[in-house]
Amino acid sequence: MTLLDVKSLSVRFSGLTALDDVSFTLEEGNVRAVIGPNGAGKSTLFNAISGYVTPTSGTVHLHGHELTQLTPHEIAERGIRRTFQNGGLFPALTVLENVLTGLHAQTHGSFLDILLGRSKALKSEAENIHRARELLKLMSMEHMADTRAGDLSGGQQRIVEIVRTVASDPPVLLLDEPAVGLSPEARAQMMEIIHRLAGEKGVGILLIEHAVELVMAAADRILVMAAGARIAEGTPEEIREDRAVLEAYLGHS
Amino acid sequence: MSQTMPTATQRRLRTYAFWAVPVLLLLLPLATNPYTQFIANGMLISVLVTLGFTLTIGNLGQLAFANTAFFGIGAYASAILAAKLGVPWLLTIPLAGAFGALGGFLASAAALRGIRTYYLAIITLAFGELMRWAYLHAKPVTGGTDGMPMPREALFGISLGDDSLKFYIFLGVTVLLVKATLNLMRSRFGRAVMAVRENEIATASLAIPTARVILVTFMWSGFVVGCAGALFARHVGHVFPESFGMLHLIASFAMVLVGGLGSVLGAVLGAVLLTALPEYLRAFPGMEELFFGLIVAGVLVAMPMGLASLLRRLSPVFVERFYREAP
Repeated sequence: MTLLDVKSLSVRFSGLTALDDVSFTLEEGNVRAVIGPNGAGKSTLFNAISGYVTPTSGTVHLHGHELTQLTPHEIAERGIRRTFQNGGLFPALTVLENVLTGLHAQTHGSFLDILLGRSKALKSEAENIHRARELLKLMSMEHMADTRAGDLSGGQQRIVEIVRTVASDPPVLLLDEPAVGLSPEARAQMMEIIHRLAGEKGVGILLIEHAVELVMAAADRILVMAAGARIAEGTPEEIREDRAVLEAYLGHS
Repeated sequence: MSQTMPTATQRRLRTYAFWAVPVLLLLLPLATNPYTQFIANGMLISVLVTLGFTLTIGNLGQLAFANTAFFGIGAYASAILAAKLGVPWLLTIPLAGAFGALGGFLASAAALRGIRTYYLAIITLAFGELMRWAYLHAKPVTGGTDGMPMPREALFGISLGDDSLKFYIFLGVTVLLVKATLNLMRSRFGRAVMAVRENEIATASLAIPTARVILVTFMWSGFVVGCAGALFARHVGHVFPESFGMLHLIASFAMVLVGGLGSVLGAVLGAVLLTALPEYLRAFPGMEELFFGLIVAGVLVAMPMGLASLLRRLSPVFVERFYREAP
């Protein structure tokens, strides 16, 4: 089933074309990697899909519903969640609190219910605390629930950010360089998490990554970009053989 | 570094303590003279002012200094409603809160337009000065430099000039607003407020409407401080423009910092201590300001995170987090 349908997406900043007519689809349970040299437009693509940059033209559909003009929090609420290249955790909040922020829209009770401490709000809060702890347990991180996120190692931070991002069970996940700066062991764990999310939960994952071995191992399909445009698309095997890709990465051949 | 969280027993203890303190305080008027009672009443007002301030500057992390403006708006709203329209003072408290919230709405407009840090500081300071100018110049409504006297009123046959009666009312309002604010902070709302402070861009990616979080935080802060303004109007009995200048702002900022930025407990501690301190310093005539400054500076050098951080280190009972464990 097609989750995400990106059609002719373009972003222009006063004369500069950051994203040039990019189209692709993302299927349920599939991992699609987006690769390309620096400045290829990968991050702009992520920002355009998640609402941080308004596309100049083109559309984004999730489950057939258009999201193109929505704000970031509306798009997140519709089911596209993302991580950030530089880490998006809240350092002063604990690991548990960070995961709970990922369940914000799943926590019930109006402002007044919360203000007055009504049982409706308290019950929903308790359920979500339970859920957040369960999710941390899955990653064997329950003993770190009360640690400030800022005190975690880089690898632990990446994992908590992913837990927080998937806590609400989003159908689509955008991971922006999840393995950057990770040790080989942490990288392996990250691979395992990506596999599990796609394979067991059917999450459609869009993955920006520079680590070639991770991309080749994790991705079902790869989108290769250069200078804002798509230059190749295919399975990892096809991409490995593609002349345009070799040229983009190695210069002329 | 893992923080030690309070155990279930400690959490229960904390809940009892929260209600035991105001219950014990009901006895306070038996132990005070008119002068110390007046000081105690002022402390309760300072607690609310500091609480509202720490929400926007500590939890939300916005360099917004409109707090004194909310305070003045609340005080004038109460005085005008009571003196000009004959509204019973008790009823003016929530109304003053509503006007304070309106002030919060106006102050948040700047933040919502993307104005931050020093620029937000200057704009909100200007807002405060503009309000003071308005109190001075809208003479038919505000009384100008003569200020607004509060009308005489009685409740249950006791004059509202009675400081013990005022204490009970102030205490009730303070406990309700502190409890409501704690409820807010220990919920998804409190986490969202902190998230905006820590990383606004990432916050939006979690389906949290950041603009609404900023707006509502400012409005709740304005509500709390606006209510405090209504208490202040009755406390002093006569509202003057000078009460709402830079001096008040600096004093409340010191209370926020001494207590600990973004801490409800800290707001209470900072307000109580810095309201009491000048009274003790009266024993050193001519040196009061010097000692006051030295003590505030000393506390901040020794404990940059405020008194609340000291208590947190002493016992996990004092740890304030942004979620509420089921009892």
